[in-house]
Amino acid sequence: MSDMNNTPPLPPQPSNSEPASTPTPPPAAPGAVPPLFGAPGTDPADRVPITNMFGASEALLRHPRRIWFQLTQSGQLHLTLALLGIALGCALVYGFVVGTFSGQDQLWAAPVKIAAGLLISGLICLPSLYIFSCLGGANTRLLEVCGLVAGLLALLAVLLIGFAPVAWIFSQSTESVAAMGALHLAFAAIATGFGLKFLALGFRELNARFSGGLRVWAAVFVLVLLQMTTALRPLIGTSDSFLPSEKKFFLAHWFDTLDKDSRTGNPR
Amino acid sequence: MNTAVQVTQIPVLLRGETKSVVAWIRQWDWSRVRAWVAVTVLGAALFGAAIGWWRAPLQAFYTAAKFPLVLLLTALGNAVLNAMLAPLLGVNMGLRQSLLAVLMSFTIAAAILGAFAPLQFFVAWNVPSFNLELRSAFLGYRFMQFATVSFIAFAGVMANVRLLPLLRAHAETDAAALRVLFAWLAGNLFLGSQICWVLRPFVGLPQAPVEFLGPGLFQGSFYEEVFQALRAVLLQQAEVGL
Amino acid sequence: MSVAVTELRQVPALLRGEAESAAVWTETCDAPRVAMWLAVTIGGSAAFGAAMGWWRAPEQALYTAVKFPLVILLTALGNAVLNAMLAPLLGVNIGLRQSLLAVLMSFTIAAAILGAASPLLAFVVWNTPPLAERASAGGAHAFLLLTIVVIIAFAGVAANLRLLQMLRRLGGGAGAARRVLFAWLAGNLFLGSQLSWMLRPFIGSPGLSVQFLRDDPLKGSFYEAVFHAIRRLFLD
Repeated sequence: MSDMNNTPPLPPQPSNSEPASTPTPPPAAPGAVPPLFGAPGTDPADRVPITNMFGASEALLRHPRRIWFQLTQSGQLHLTLALLGIALGCALVYGFVVGTFSGQDQLWAAPVKIAAGLLISGLICLPSLYIFSCLGGANTRLLEVCGLVAGLLALLAVLLIGFAPVAWIFSQSTESVAAMGALHLAFAAIATGFGLKFLALGFRELNARFSGGLRVWAAVFVLVLLQMTTALRPLIGTSDSFLPSEKKFFLAHWFDTLDKDSRTGNPR
Repeated sequence: MNTAVQVTQIPVLLRGETKSVVAWIRQWDWSRVRAWVAVTVLGAALFGAAIGWWRAPLQAFYTAAKFPLVLLLTALGNAVLNAMLAPLLGVNMGLRQSLLAVLMSFTIAAAILGAFAPLQFFVAWNVPSFNLELRSAFLGYRFMQFATVSFIAFAGVMANVRLLPLLRAHAETDAAALRVLFAWLAGNLFLGSQICWVLRPFVGLPQAPVEFLGPGLFQGSFYEEVFQALRAVLLQQAEVGL
Repeated sequence: MSVAVTELRQVPALLRGEAESAAVWTETCDAPRVAMWLAVTIGGSAAFGAAMGWWRAPEQALYTAVKFPLVILLTALGNAVLNAMLAPLLGVNIGLRQSLLAVLMSFTIAAAILGAASPLLAFVVWNTPPLAERASAGGAHAFLLLTIVVIIAFAGVAANLRLLQMLRRLGGGAGAARRVLFAWLAGNLFLGSQLSWMLRPFIGSPGLSVQFLRDDPLKGSFYEAVFHAIRRLFLD
């Protein structure tokens, strides 16, 4: 048991590739197994500790193996919280950009709804992902799955920040709620695609392959995200109340918005 | 090992690691049984609460209490029958082992249902209240039914998929394991349906008050109701034909 | 002054597609070099914009000379963060500075080509009947429009070919370089079209007065206009 608390041994590396000073990684979490050859952690670069949110967001984009490796080590909770912090912060900023379309109350309501919706969607789908991974035979721990979902949400939100300038320019020009909705959906679709890729590769790197269950889960997660946009409406237009009184399926809401848009122009 | 430690071994059940599970059901370990019962009660209660919450918060509480009861009463009620059927159909298992095997499969199903409970809550949150006059509400009700049945069916299928290798480990042939699985399934379905009937309502009718048990508690049975419904449909068809 | 001349001499290296040098230049943010790239981008695109706007009126030439570089620079800046995120996600592991410099470099190449072609365009405009005389000079107008499109397309293709070579040099393989180039192109085209719509007119219409921006520059979007045009075409 004491062996498990130490750093997993590095597999033999060619001497010329060994850096002058290998960064000291955090100790392995209890129950963690030493990495297989080629798995995260075999490259010394994967072992560079992630100390803050900026480092975590850079690692998400440029060195995801660092994240996957750190999630198998002790202190993974800090990394998971950092990733959730990134998701929350970026979602609030993107939400503000979404709110600039209508202005007034939407400047605070849209960020709150988008950040809350993103985190709640992750929370709702987290238990089923863990169960799917177990049923698929994956030997991943709940904390690792939490970290991967936090990474998915963080990458999704970080990418939305990349789209924010474009979204802002369009929100200042167009008057159509449907057009803005379609634009935000397109951006969210691209960001979600990259986020799900991060999650799938993360499971693969952690030696947990369950492609069938993961596909089903991804479909469920996307459905929950889409429905969340309707459950927390309006995210783009205006309304008298913070949350809707009428319950609707997201497709019905989209068709209603399109219909209203074509009839009245649906001013912001 | 204490119960809390045993709960952390639930993923082993979900992964279907037959070797470990075969060893676990060989002997009666109270802490393990407590852990499995706890997971069964908690998972089923969460899912039950999500179903009942669509009707009313009080119904959520009632269904959370009744749903685990269905699973546990079915397992206990069929324990002796299952233990007799297993050796008769070619699987060498005693009462303790068959009860543990059934409890294990119910634990898997309840763990899956518990994990789906947040999704079921989300569906209930987004589906309009039951109203036959409103088309959107009726479609929503149908969607809710579909989601609930899908979750339960998936949990049931996975629980049985995990049970089969365990039976194979004790069976003379694969066919014997399959025979026992189907016999247990049939018995559990038969008793479980009637227990559900007795403990109804789980969702409740919109015009009826929210209550723990329906007014006609021991009136009729699930199968009589199905028979009456079938007869009504067939007689109506016959009249149309005439 | 000598620094500026030295940096200016590096522009032909960009045009020749010396990927090795270009890749090195994107690794560090050298202020004189960036200033020179900006100067070439602004100068080249302004010259081309002036030639384009001159067809409508001298005043329009001045306006377009200001707005054309603006479209290019605002597109590069507006998509800077997005491009920097997409590159590593699609397989080319570069950061914000490198991606921004790479995009700026490709815009510099395009602007240099446009600037070089601007005297040619000005000559064509000089020999084409004024825009107001649409009825009498349909063929000449079509030729001028075609010339503008061909020059812009050539500059764009050349700039992107050079960018592709540099992305390959930055690592990740040919497939990753193509993916990143495609994603950057799509993003820049998407934003650039909207910015062009907001900063319209660039040539102007004989029926409308010459102005820097239309009266309602922020009303509607390029894509809504395209959507309505398609709907009118098929439904009306």
